[in-house]
Amino acid sequence: MLSPMSIDTNSRRPVGAPSARPIHPAYRRRMRLADTLQVLCVVSVAIVVAIFLADGGAARFTTPSETLTSMGIVSGLVGSDLLLVMLLLAARLPLIDRAFGHDRAMAVHQSLGKPALYLLLAHAALLIGGYALADNSTLPAEMWTMLTQLPDMPLAFVGLALLIVVVISSIVVVRRRFRYEALHAVHLLAYLAVLVSIPHQLSVGGLLRDGSIQRYYWLALYVAVAGSVLLFRFIIPVVRSIRHRLVVTGVDRVAPGVVSIRLGGRHLRALNASSGQFFIWRFWTPGLWWQAHPFSLSAAPGGDSLRITVRGLGDASVKLPALPRGTRVSFEGPYGLFTERARTSPRIVLVAAGIGVAPIRSLLESASFEPGGATVLLRSPSLGDRYLADEMAELCARRGATLRVIAGHRPPGVDSWLPADAAAAGITLATLVPELREADLYVCGPRRWTDAVVRDARSAGMPGRQIHYERFDW
Amino acid sequence: MRAAAFAALASLSVLGAGWELGIQAGVTNHSATATGSTAMGSTATGSTAVPTTPGQPTTSAQPPATATAPSGTFTGTVAQTQFGNVQVAVTIADGRITDVTALQLTDQDGRSVSISNRAAPILRDEVLSAQSANVQNVGGATYTSSGYVQSLQSALDAARF
Repeated sequence: MLSPMSIDTNSRRPVGAPSARPIHPAYRRRMRLADTLQVLCVVSVAIVVAIFLADGGAARFTTPSETLTSMGIVSGLVGSDLLLVMLLLAARLPLIDRAFGHDRAMAVHQSLGKPALYLLLAHAALLIGGYALADNSTLPAEMWTMLTQLPDMPLAFVGLALLIVVVISSIVVVRRRFRYEALHAVHLLAYLAVLVSIPHQLSVGGLLRDGSIQRYYWLALYVAVAGSVLLFRFIIPVVRSIRHRLVVTGVDRVAPGVVSIRLGGRHLRALNASSGQFFIWRFWTPGLWWQAHPFSLSAAPGGDSLRITVRGLGDASVKLPALPRGTRVSFEGPYGLFTERARTSPRIVLVAAGIGVAPIRSLLESASFEPGGATVLLRSPSLGDRYLADEMAELCARRGATLRVIAGHRPPGVDSWLPADAAAAGITLATLVPELREADLYVCGPRRWTDAVVRDARSAGMPGRQIHYERFDW
Repeated sequence: MRAAAFAALASLSVLGAGWELGIQAGVTNHSATATGSTAMGSTATGSTAVPTTPGQPTTSAQPPATATAPSGTFTGTVAQTQFGNVQVAVTIADGRITDVTALQLTDQDGRSVSISNRAAPILRDEVLSAQSANVQNVGGATYTSSGYVQSLQSALDAARF
């Protein structure tokens, strides 16, 4: 159905760029998977609307009250479907992680939050209005009638209220950069909101009536989503944590507040982790066990050891360097597409700022390239505050990669990823790395800085499929 | 872009299938009601509408005023609607409708139940004051009303009211 041509979505290929280079087969497979998942998502919305139409819904737009009621039903169906898509995106399905990466999946998840909420608010408002018109009563009176006369409506109202709380607080948490745990706790409410809204969907409207095919379809959707969440967010992480018995084997100071944590465990090859991926870690020590932190691997994963390099924020900055040896570690992961699996080109350009050097270092260790086929750009405000600088220099020398250290403060007011003098001199990614177009670019750093690098790469005519970045704020 | 086109195509065909099914469902719905009402016409004179208390009320304190005036409780036929079946029983004493009891009301889903619960007492009052099945639909309860009237009429026919 999808020809190989369909994956070349970039039409901005600059004149003179090598065009005949074959597209990496792994990339082609990944794009086919991503396309399939996107099509499924859109079709799932079409299916719920089709369910309404198949029930003769198109004929129920004759009176104002019927019209409002029908629109309310459709918005409820679509809103609920989007909510389920959101839950799936957050369920860390291996398929979704492989196709889009955690970062992009969560970006889509975030972008669906408000539309889903608006649709469900419209669902409530339209049905209250439609029913009030039909019963010839006022809106508050109709709301009261619905709450008291209709089955399962109190729960449904509770569900909507919870959803409002979840979406608003998520926006606040994301904006204010609250801790990850706050977002996590709030999102547990979302599961509750979805759960308590199920009974009224089955009992109030006739669309999903007992014994109908659509009722089974609807229930199957919920069972599939609940199963995925349970399996991939709870069962598999717990089973893996128990099986692999990870413990802290050592903590090495890298800089003030920055440490490399070495972890030992069993059968770690079975995790299929790759350089550049991250896990969500939980250290079972007093004061830390209740927090989970996403940290990237800073060394290629071994059969019985892993290493992460972290800059602790807040109280973790004090507690992480003091982690005792032997501390048990549980984890979720590995996640992310910031890996060799995303490669499309023979050359590689690795760009890191701050603690973003961690996944870049592990990538450098295991990425495939000919000597001279890799460039590493390390960006820092001053020469002093680079992390893992010695390790990076040694690795670059060993693997034949070009290392460039770019130090200096960014120009104020200008959105550049380079120091002020470099930006003023017209230096760009393309002037720093002339072979950019035959390379895959991997960028890791703070969100705004990463965005600036990606913009620079795009304006140099680099196709989107060659640009890889993973931004995490937590 | 191919993915977007494919998604649009797949969605349109799913929607088209739904639309087509909806039209077919509408057609069968109509034919079902049509056959339903013919069946009702034939049974109204037949044996379906049987007085639950044949002949006379059990407490025959007052004998019928005239030989032709019907008395007793008569059950109407089941009227099928899109939202469930409707069936009523009418109590007639001395040639007057004294009570209408709903045996079954549109109950396919919660909303239908709430609508019919609201409509039934209104319809009963209208019937008692009109002394016939010739009453207006209750607003917002069209299906319940028409089923109610249909079942009531069959009961009145059986009672030769």
